[in-house]
Amino acid sequence: MTETAIEAAALGKGFGRRRKQALDDCSFRLLTGSVCAVVGPNGAGKSTLLSLAAGLLRPTDGTITVLGAAPAAVRERLAYVAQDKPLHPQLTVADTLRYGRELNPGRWDDQVAERIVAEGELEAGARIRTLSGGQRTRVALALALGKRPELLLLDEPMADLDPLARHQLMATLMADAAEHGTTVVMSSHVVAELDGACDHLLLLGAGRVRLSGPLDDLLAAHRLVTGRADASLDPHTVVESRTTGRQTTALVRPEGPLGPSWQATAPTLEELVLAHLRAPEAPALRLDDVREAAV
Amino acid sequence: MTAVTTLDTPAAVTSSRGPRGLLWAMLRLHRWALWFWLLLVAVGAGALLWAYGPGADAAWAEYHKAGCGSTTPPDLGCDLIGPAYTRYDTFVGVGAGILGLAPFLTAAWAGGALIGRELESGTAQLAWTQSVSPARWLAAKLAVPAALLTTGMLLLTLLHRLLWSTDGPLRAAMGSRSWYQGTTFEANGTLATSYALLGLAVGVLAALLQRRALPALGLAVVVLALLTTVLGTVRPYLWPLETLTNKHEYPAYIGMVVDEGALTSTGARVADPICVDNTKCLAEHDIVGFYRDYHPSSHFWPLQLVETGIVLAVAALTVLVAFRLLNRRTGAAV
Amino acid sequence: MVDYRIDRRSGVATYVQIVQQTKQALRLGLLEPGDKLPTAREVVEATAINPNTVLKAYRELEREGLVEARRGLGTFVRRGLNTAPAESPLRTELEAWAVRAREAGLDHDDVDALFTAVLDTHFKGDES
Repeated sequence: MTETAIEAAALGKGFGRRRKQALDDCSFRLLTGSVCAVVGPNGAGKSTLLSLAAGLLRPTDGTITVLGAAPAAVRERLAYVAQDKPLHPQLTVADTLRYGRELNPGRWDDQVAERIVAEGELEAGARIRTLSGGQRTRVALALALGKRPELLLLDEPMADLDPLARHQLMATLMADAAEHGTTVVMSSHVVAELDGACDHLLLLGAGRVRLSGPLDDLLAAHRLVTGRADASLDPHTVVESRTTGRQTTALVRPEGPLGPSWQATAPTLEELVLAHLRAPEAPALRLDDVREAAV
Repeated sequence: MTAVTTLDTPAAVTSSRGPRGLLWAMLRLHRWALWFWLLLVAVGAGALLWAYGPGADAAWAEYHKAGCGSTTPPDLGCDLIGPAYTRYDTFVGVGAGILGLAPFLTAAWAGGALIGRELESGTAQLAWTQSVSPARWLAAKLAVPAALLTTGMLLLTLLHRLLWSTDGPLRAAMGSRSWYQGTTFEANGTLATSYALLGLAVGVLAALLQRRALPALGLAVVVLALLTTVLGTVRPYLWPLETLTNKHEYPAYIGMVVDEGALTSTGARVADPICVDNTKCLAEHDIVGFYRDYHPSSHFWPLQLVETGIVLAVAALTVLVAFRLLNRRTGAAV
Repeated sequence: MVDYRIDRRSGVATYVQIVQQTKQALRLGLLEPGDKLPTAREVVEATAINPNTVLKAYRELEREGLVEARRGLGTFVRRGLNTAPAESPLRTELEAWAVRAREAGLDHDDVDALFTAVLDTHFKGDES
């Protein structure tokens, strides 16, 4: 359970002649069995990172290792669902599942795929082009999970789903992870929809890693403090601070006990992420080094 | 239940009959293109077979009914084309036309539906994240259509040749179509097929470059048109020409004439001053004879094979570039 | 069987919510020794939370000796939780205290705050 699912070392990807950097010097590590949220604003490089991990793009700098090998070498063992859920519109649901079976010989599990489709009450004979966004997502997920992947990469899986469908989809994913120990990596720019489901956080900003590590450890490394504006926060690392009148509210990484002049609480995932997004200059924090997932 | 199921081989239990894997995916995804191609081949074959049988018979009957064919050379007026021959000629034209059009249709389809649309919509990436590498995916995208194209094109070519081998007298009587004319030349040998394969290769590369269906479709057709024009222009020079000379007038037309003109007393080739029979004019220009550079019909196969070789080489090069481009973009080929 | 309800807005860690709700079910007698807890898969299918969170909660309950994991079978309740019986002396004392608090002019919220503060002082360090 302590093997590495994804390891990136100084990973970079530039596009076009001017080499606009979508990802720049990214290093992080994700253990197998984790459910990882890749969070960041639009354009932070989330999709690029997932495409690189899926072996669809070649890095321009650095390396990315997936399940112990180059992504292209472990194609059979990973699954990927792109943001716009591409499927062949002319195929029926049943044909789409057959597509998965034919292209994943030796791995495909009809029961898994068919159960996911059946839970959505989809007709096998319905053509993909007639499906709603949520139904397409379900079929795309059935195609991905039917392959029995060890690593599942999902790019904005919830984007076009209503709350009920979100809950169902997340439940399906978590059940699969519970049963098979699948490592799940999903990106989102809406933090709330990942809360509770993820145990690992990778926060990207402007193509760089801002935070990476087990969620509990990252939360434990930060404190939301309130105190008088003239009190000092040295020697703690201040991620973000705001002063209103005589009061200062700040998110800090304590370097020791906080003084009695500060009232401290544990931040929520959303507070942690938002503070880092509001303060793009705050130093990055990596807690994913050679350690076991602190679960 | 006739199948014996064992727990060890769940994959084998679910397998059904028919094509498997990538081949199944290709045939299923491009079902309509497949049907269209079969229909096109059927129409072409039908047209050629009809022309070969009832069409030719009716044209001959019409010819004889007009009182022609009993004397040689034919009477004046016997090359007046009647409705039966027109119909015959139209059907031959349909068969040859499909052979000539197929490369362009292929290029447009390969650039658009086969690759371009998949890259545009992301379904190509869907395939690459199944257990299929981009290189294998591209190989299937090329091999399956190539096999079907080759089969269909060769079938039509053979039918066209069959027709060609028997309707010589009819052509001679009506004076239409020669072996070296563009469509006929291509439809009688290996060229039509090789151009279809070139169309496939060009379409695929155009799609990989453009990554969108419509621009790729346009680029593929334009590039193929350019290539066929260039090759059509250099075609006569792909094999050594033969020359005929004659005094007082031009040698007879006996094949693909590439160049012609007048000869001076020193043997130099000059432009024909168009003196016709004016001896004074001829003397003034020192014209002692006329020449024609041409390909006799025996050059059909050498010309055909050299051009086929070039076309296939260009197609192979295009495919190679396509694979390299795809590999460079998507990481290692596995 | 116990049915977990996860409140993502509560600020209480998800695994703690599972531990608390399990204990509550033990106190109320909804779970008795020998009963099987739902599998991680069943819990996450209903709640869409991370399976590792469920396992973490179950490990915590196991550490406290409330449940035991039987390999390949599931997680089972080992013992119930002591609750103060309705007629216990502790309750009687508390009842009397509540009456006095009311007479002293404290309202529900005041009592609540006072009670929590005292609990915090005396049960500091004990989890949940």
